[in-house]
Amino acid sequence: MSHAQPLCLMLAPGQVARDARDLRWSALMGAAQAGDGAAYATLLAECLPFLRAICRARLRDATEAEDAVQDALLTLHRVRHTYDPARPFRPWLAAIAERRALDRLRRRGRQVARETLLDDATELGAEGEAEERLAARQLREAVGGLPASQRTALQLTKIEQLSLQEASARSGMSVGALKVATHRALQSLRRRLTGGAP
Amino acid sequence: MKTEEMIARLAEDLRPVRRMPSPPVLLALWTVLAASVIGLAALVFGTREVLGRPMTGFDLMHSLAALLTALLAGLAAFELSLPDRDRRWAWLPLPAIGLWLGTMGVGCVGELVQAGLDGIRFHVSWPCLQFIIGMGLPMAGLMLWLTRHAAWIRPGPVAGFGALSAAAFASIGLTLVHPTFGPLMVLAWHGVAVLVVTGLAALFGPRLAWRGKA
Repeated sequence: MSHAQPLCLMLAPGQVARDARDLRWSALMGAAQAGDGAAYATLLAECLPFLRAICRARLRDATEAEDAVQDALLTLHRVRHTYDPARPFRPWLAAIAERRALDRLRRRGRQVARETLLDDATELGAEGEAEERLAARQLREAVGGLPASQRTALQLTKIEQLSLQEASARSGMSVGALKVATHRALQSLRRRLTGGAP
Repeated sequence: MKTEEMIARLAEDLRPVRRMPSPPVLLALWTVLAASVIGLAALVFGTREVLGRPMTGFDLMHSLAALLTALLAGLAAFELSLPDRDRRWAWLPLPAIGLWLGTMGVGCVGELVQAGLDGIRFHVSWPCLQFIIGMGLPMAGLMLWLTRHAAWIRPGPVAGFGALSAAAFASIGLTLVHPTFGPLMVLAWHGVAVLVVTGLAALFGPRLAWRGKA
């Protein structure tokens, strides 16, 4: 009995605060739907810890979790017209974040499966493939030597295979700048790996 | 890009959006659209001559089950297309689907018992298939457009239930314009055609939707 009472007292204010916060987020989202950019920025900044908590619970890798947070923000932005301010905001937001985190988790699972297959293949043909492994290392080093913007462009458009719009939203670079950076990155890699030939 | 920078960019480019109507309102809109398409088909092909006669109890139950399937599958599609709705909405149309398939099955078995195996003509009812698929697929396309935001949320189930609703409406349309109601075996072809439309939409709808959103 002596434990039950403080627990109730502790939970009750938390519940009230949560409800008040949800109402606040709901109102901010309503304003954002009407085009209020300041309300939208405030809302997204306040939601960020909540989104991170959801994505980090699903994805152990911190970078991967942060990518899922960004995916969730993009989705939220695209489906913002589907939110009904008469309903609680948090379940709507949480459902989006969980979906994007699960997508990342699935993609990661597939990637790991492919990498495992590749590892097996390397072991099977280990004798004759030293040269290929050397080439892969050279490629990794060459990519590492690229300017940051080119590396980002290459990562998003070629490795993660995002659309130019998604890559632009993620990197903050314009679509044009992304195209130029990707092109230059590929040219530069070609030059380095073929020993200076154009 | 850092997440905080991304937030700043999203807020900077923010445009006002028109809030989406609630699922019941969307269902009403969808029903009006589907009824218009069926009405148009009835105008083009003409209604069957027996339409003036009262429907048999079986006809009525079959048509009511199809209508119920169309409405409840449509509502499930609209509800499931929203992020915060319970996935159990998917259960809602199942009893109606069961009743609909049941009336088709009972019809076929009844006819089999009455006429015997030799009395039944096993034939492919191409006009039924063509009508339901020809009318169901464009209607399913319309439904995909109405639920296009689901590409980000639950593309597969939404496309499936949306197409089922479209095909059920098409099947009702067919019973109105059928020259004669035909042998009950024909009903089975309604079922096959509905399955084809639903399956195609569930398989390819999400891919189309994903392509459209890019």
